[in-house]
Amino acid sequence: MANLQHIRRRIKSVKNIQKITNAMDMIARSRFNAAREALLSNLPYVAKTKEIMRRVMGQMRGQEYEHPFLKTRADLIAEQQEGAGKFLFIVIASDKGLAGSFSSNVFKAAHDTIEYDGTSENSSLDDDDDENFHRKNFDALKGIKPSGKRTPKQQRQMSATGGIARTTSHQGGATSSTNISVTREYNDADYIDGIELITVGRKATTHFRQRGYNIIKSYHGISERPQYKYAKEISDLVMDRFASGEIIDVTLIYNQFKSAISCAPDEVTLLPIVTDDYAKASANLKEEYIYEPDAVTLLDKFLPRRIATRIYGAMLHSAASELSSRMNAMSNATDNAQELVGRLNLFYNKVRQAGITNEINEIVGGANALE
Amino acid sequence: MATILLEVATPDKGEVYKNDINMLITRSINGELGILPKHANLLTELIPNAMRIKEGGGETQLFVSGGFMEVTPEKITILADAAETPDDIDIERAKDAYKRAEERVTTYKSAPKNHEDIDIDRAEAALARAKARLLVKGVPIP
Repeated sequence: MANLQHIRRRIKSVKNIQKITNAMDMIARSRFNAAREALLSNLPYVAKTKEIMRRVMGQMRGQEYEHPFLKTRADLIAEQQEGAGKFLFIVIASDKGLAGSFSSNVFKAAHDTIEYDGTSENSSLDDDDDENFHRKNFDALKGIKPSGKRTPKQQRQMSATGGIARTTSHQGGATSSTNISVTREYNDADYIDGIELITVGRKATTHFRQRGYNIIKSYHGISERPQYKYAKEISDLVMDRFASGEIIDVTLIYNQFKSAISCAPDEVTLLPIVTDDYAKASANLKEEYIYEPDAVTLLDKFLPRRIATRIYGAMLHSAASELSSRMNAMSNATDNAQELVGRLNLFYNKVRQAGITNEINEIVGGANALE
Repeated sequence: MATILLEVATPDKGEVYKNDINMLITRSINGELGILPKHANLLTELIPNAMRIKEGGGETQLFVSGGFMEVTPEKITILADAAETPDDIDIERAKDAYKRAEERVTTYKSAPKNHEDIDIDRAEAALARAKARLLVKGVPIP
């Protein structure tokens, strides 16, 4: 038999929680408006940068301007076959939790991308998205025969599968089998060594640190209100690492804001910029551009700007998504608390009524016994 | 009269300007540029300047603090770090900024060796920005 006092206490605590979630909902709501405003103001700039990028890259193919950030897929493959390089991923998540599946969605997408080993069933090579090369680059490497030394991608495939079981299947028997185990072992030193992470948001940092990833830099306290200077800092760092040759691939993973009730993880390859994919997007553009002062000088300025813009845009997307997710999570929590209070009240009254009935029975019983 | 579409976007204010215009006069790192409709494809970097936009007989001014300009025969796209119409500009702030920047530049130029703490590139960029802002506003430069 439930104790009346216990139920009363429970109702009170649920009501208190409801007050808190309601307050958090309202806070998220007002911040969300600011974040959405910031995002919407940024969208045209990003879209126009992308447009220009497309046109310039499209006509740049064929008349190779040497620029370290620009590569054709053939170059890329040739490079992969000889040198080892690391992969860098930028993961943007939140500082705080209580935002539904916001963070876990990014992490899931991040793991999918980071651990992608070219073994996915549906090849993405035909995909026309010119901002997502990472998987395409992997898929392109499938058919390549290794030349003595193992390529980093293949190395990653090996360690990612914890053995060579899957690697041999599409590398045409690169190495003879020794250890065939398909369980993934992410703590494998070789595998972890090949990956560097930059995290934005405390949640992302803890998540990946726990799993033993090598985080070269993390940003905390900026996830809700991103500033351009941080995006600039990240892009400078990334370009530095890329230019030094240590990094061969930079991919950005973040939550893309779709509407106040939906967001989805998105991934973007920042470096290298693979010109093949742009060519497809603007095959009909024949006219040449005049570059002032000249193409290389201009690209030297334009590409870094483009990368920083992309990161900043992603941060804004992520901030708006985070706040909208929190808003939804908190308003759901408030509704649930309301429902729970209703049910508890009903239960409380039932118990109270049962108690009264019981007492009356006792009194009547006692009176009857006296007669 | 033939027109060309001009779009000016900035990272934090969205589309600042969008209109069909007759002519744009702006300044790239190579010097002054006048863009008329049906201009050849061009990509260039802008420096801080007061752009003059000719449209429908009149002329308006727009401040840009540098960025990139892409020209196609039908459209001019300017990706500016910041862009302001005369109404958006705070005169007092621009004047103050001008004075500060000018002071720094002159002290540096008087004895470059003694003032290595001054970031001359930054000071000069700030001076150019303030100058362009005042120009758009039509304020005589002090």
